[in-house]
Amino acid sequence: MRVLLRVLAPVLGLAVAVVGVLVLLEVVAAWVRPNGNAGLVVPWQDWYATLGRIAWSDAPVPGIAICVAVLGLLLVLVGLLARRPDIAVDGPAPDITVTTSPRVLARLVGRRVRSADDVAAASVTASRRRVSVAAQAWGDAPPELAENVRARVDDLLDEIPLHRRPRVSVTVHDRKGVR
Amino acid sequence: MSEHALRRRATAAIARSTAGERTLAVVVGLVLLAAGTLVWLLSLGVFGTGRAERPLLDPMIIEALHTQPLVTRLAAIVGGFLLAVLGLIWTAHALRPERRPDLLLDSGSPEGGTDTAIVVSAAAAAEAVGAQAAALPGVGRARARLVGTDAAPAVRVTLWLADDADVRDVLARLHDEVLATARASLGLDDLPAAVRLELDHLQPGPRVA
Repeated sequence: MRVLLRVLAPVLGLAVAVVGVLVLLEVVAAWVRPNGNAGLVVPWQDWYATLGRIAWSDAPVPGIAICVAVLGLLLVLVGLLARRPDIAVDGPAPDITVTTSPRVLARLVGRRVRSADDVAAASVTASRRRVSVAAQAWGDAPPELAENVRARVDDLLDEIPLHRRPRVSVTVHDRKGVR
Repeated sequence: MSEHALRRRATAAIARSTAGERTLAVVVGLVLLAAGTLVWLLSLGVFGTGRAERPLLDPMIIEALHTQPLVTRLAAIVGGFLLAVLGLIWTAHALRPERRPDLLLDSGSPEGGTDTAIVVSAAAAAEAVGAQAAALPGVGRARARLVGTDAAPAVRVTLWLADDADVRDVLARLHDEVLATARASLGLDDLPAAVRLELDHLQPGPRVA
């Protein structure tokens, strides 16, 4: 989303500037040569005639209006959702701000969970509020495996001074096949 | 400098702000959304079927504009000028590279007979901080970059941590050793820092002992 915003921002700015320059050019040109029949760059006289004929309820108008509204909604969403999904970590002093990414936290948790023999595989998703672990157990795994995995994740979260401790959810599935 | 101001500078150094771009996208998006919705409702006859049957360029409006040609033209020129200037400012703001403030160690004094200023380039200062940070125990790689303004510089440090890194210890050492040294050697009272923690390439451990 942030990359899209970085690309969109100069394009939008340029579009606004081009519209402004065209308006300036055409208005000044029409003022200077009142008998000119065509626009300097934009065929505004043709547009003028067409817009004078088409009514608000005619065919292309509602469709174009819906497209413009959808485009506007997408722009609003891009602007609102292009925040950094950083996870804040407490620094040792006020003049030091520490952040990490959900990807790093997920990799740390995944590595800690997979380091035990009783887990065959694990997938982890992390955000600043929640860490979800889906662990695969060997067929002979103990019933308290979910609690063991949760304890390992809690130990790891104790070691990292996260500003806000995420909630941990663990699900365990049996792995099919031999060990 | 107050604790609050230092914290704000450190937070601002995390990444280049996209507040301007986001505001632009939201404002333009809201304008398009409102215009599109209103036109759609108008075309459906919500504001009256008679109004929906009128042409887009309403003769009433054209007539009103023609009665005041000078005012109309001046308004269009001012509007076009404002759009052009605002659009160019937005574009320049979006494309402008981030500032890398050089640090002025000694501005020299003509009264004292010296007119030589001593400046540490942003790249040199950042490289020194990065090299020191990379030497900390538990840090695999490090990269630093000076950001902010000449009057209020800050440093952005990315640390790639090793598997066995103690995060608290690494951060404490970075603050007490690396940043303290940088402040002292660069003659700065404050040097807020924004630290980004990444993981160095993990070495997968053996599954079978």
